[in-house]
Amino acid sequence: MMQSEANRLGMLDSVLGALNLGTVVLDHARRVVVWNAWMQQYSGLPGTEVIGHDFFTLFPELKGKRIDSAVQQALRDNFPSVLSQTLHKAPFALFANAAARAADERLQQAVAVTPIEMSGAARHCLIQITDVSVAVNRERLLRDQALELRSQTFSDGLTGIANRRHFDVAMEKEIRRAKRAGTPLSLLMIDIDSFKAYNDHYGHQQGDDSLIRVASALAQMLQRPLDLIARYGGEEFAVILPEMDAEQSMNMAEAMRATITGLAIPHVTTATGHVTISIGVATHQASDPGDIPFLLGAADKALYMAKRAGRNRVEMAVPA
Amino acid sequence: MFNLSELQHDALVEIFNIGVGHAARAMSEIVNEEVTMSVPSISFLNRADAAAMLGNKDTSRVCGVSQHYEGAFSTEAILMFPEDKSLDIVRLMVGESVPLKELTEMEQEAMSEIGNIILNSCVGTLANIFSQELSGSLPQYHVGTSEEILTASGGQANTVVLMLHIDFILEKHQIHGYVAFILDLTALQDLQEQVDRYLAKVMGSA
Repeated sequence: MMQSEANRLGMLDSVLGALNLGTVVLDHARRVVVWNAWMQQYSGLPGTEVIGHDFFTLFPELKGKRIDSAVQQALRDNFPSVLSQTLHKAPFALFANAAARAADERLQQAVAVTPIEMSGAARHCLIQITDVSVAVNRERLLRDQALELRSQTFSDGLTGIANRRHFDVAMEKEIRRAKRAGTPLSLLMIDIDSFKAYNDHYGHQQGDDSLIRVASALAQMLQRPLDLIARYGGEEFAVILPEMDAEQSMNMAEAMRATITGLAIPHVTTATGHVTISIGVATHQASDPGDIPFLLGAADKALYMAKRAGRNRVEMAVPA
Repeated sequence: MFNLSELQHDALVEIFNIGVGHAARAMSEIVNEEVTMSVPSISFLNRADAAAMLGNKDTSRVCGVSQHYEGAFSTEAILMFPEDKSLDIVRLMVGESVPLKELTEMEQEAMSEIGNIILNSCVGTLANIFSQELSGSLPQYHVGTSEEILTASGGQANTVVLMLHIDFILEKHQIHGYVAFILDLTALQDLQEQVDRYLAKVMGSA
């Protein structure tokens, strides 16, 4: 009987040693009574240095922290606690290897503190520490990729403003809203004048730089949260102006034209000597039955008229 | 449905407010920001009504953290938020926004910890005030319809749900959630008896 009890203890000891999990047991006075091989390996502290010592004297930086109240809750109230990696990062100084220790990169930890009933002694508590570094890294990767993917799918890689896809989604939403609310919706189609000649003369690198400057100057002029400027094609931009009637949108277009002229980006092959834009304006009135292709077509026609009339101009679509 | 006297009701509201106050302090320390929590009201409901209170049972998903407690009375305690609110609460606590529509594994753990803190504080305060001891299980995380979450935690049909409304405020955001204590008739009697004993003690000493 005594022999088998000793065997059992020996086996439990070996099990503790083999666990791939940090295992610490504190007695009622918060002294360390178990410190398994996993703890020894990752903390660098042998059991002989910790067993019998007050846990919070050994790790003073944990005093007053959540692990402190978790231990208290287990010993006093008989309640278990969990400490998540997300909210606590790495409370214990545990390192995968010497290099990580030198770089002060701790193992990412998930901790559980559970009360342990003792027959014939005051309650103890068990602290289990799991290494969640792999899961944390995987999620960091997932998060980064999701963020990148989201920004890629809705913004134009060169200019950083909305892309065509974002424009299509926004247009769909805004025209529905305008119809429901009975409000007007204006659309500007903007084209940089003689941009092919610009690229031919200055090269594509400088062409890209000018596109970026024009896009950001136009984007800065939109102050209302639902206004949207998108890169529609090569050197073509589209602007959605919800709740703006024909007159207001003409004013906005004229201000945009003037702003780009004001940038005074040299363009020697044109009459003005500067980069200019032409704008076609179309407004969807609450009473119009027209849909998105109709509005786009109207703005496109107006843009064509502006080009025909000599460029660096704003034209309004004639009402259907 | 089952009803408490006004005095018993007020005593429980007060005890739970002390409990969530402790939880709010613990969470403030974790995030280094002010977290406030209060329990504006409690009610006793049957399980179907409790599920209905949490929103449309077919469409909306609820996120829950449950722990089982035993001792002076036994109960399954569940912290519940509508799923979108649980994203808000975890991401506010963590201070990072993740462009994903569901809690990641690590965020679920954080949610479990938040539940663990709130539930232990509520039950701990009850136990403390009743001078009783209870033991608790580790928290478990669930997502599903309110019905699923209230039944996943076991118990027979004739159980009563003690529902706490919880207001959680962090960084100017207010998030409304619930704590449900699922009690069978024995547990309900035990709880009522404890409240009466507490009231007698308070009244006696006053």
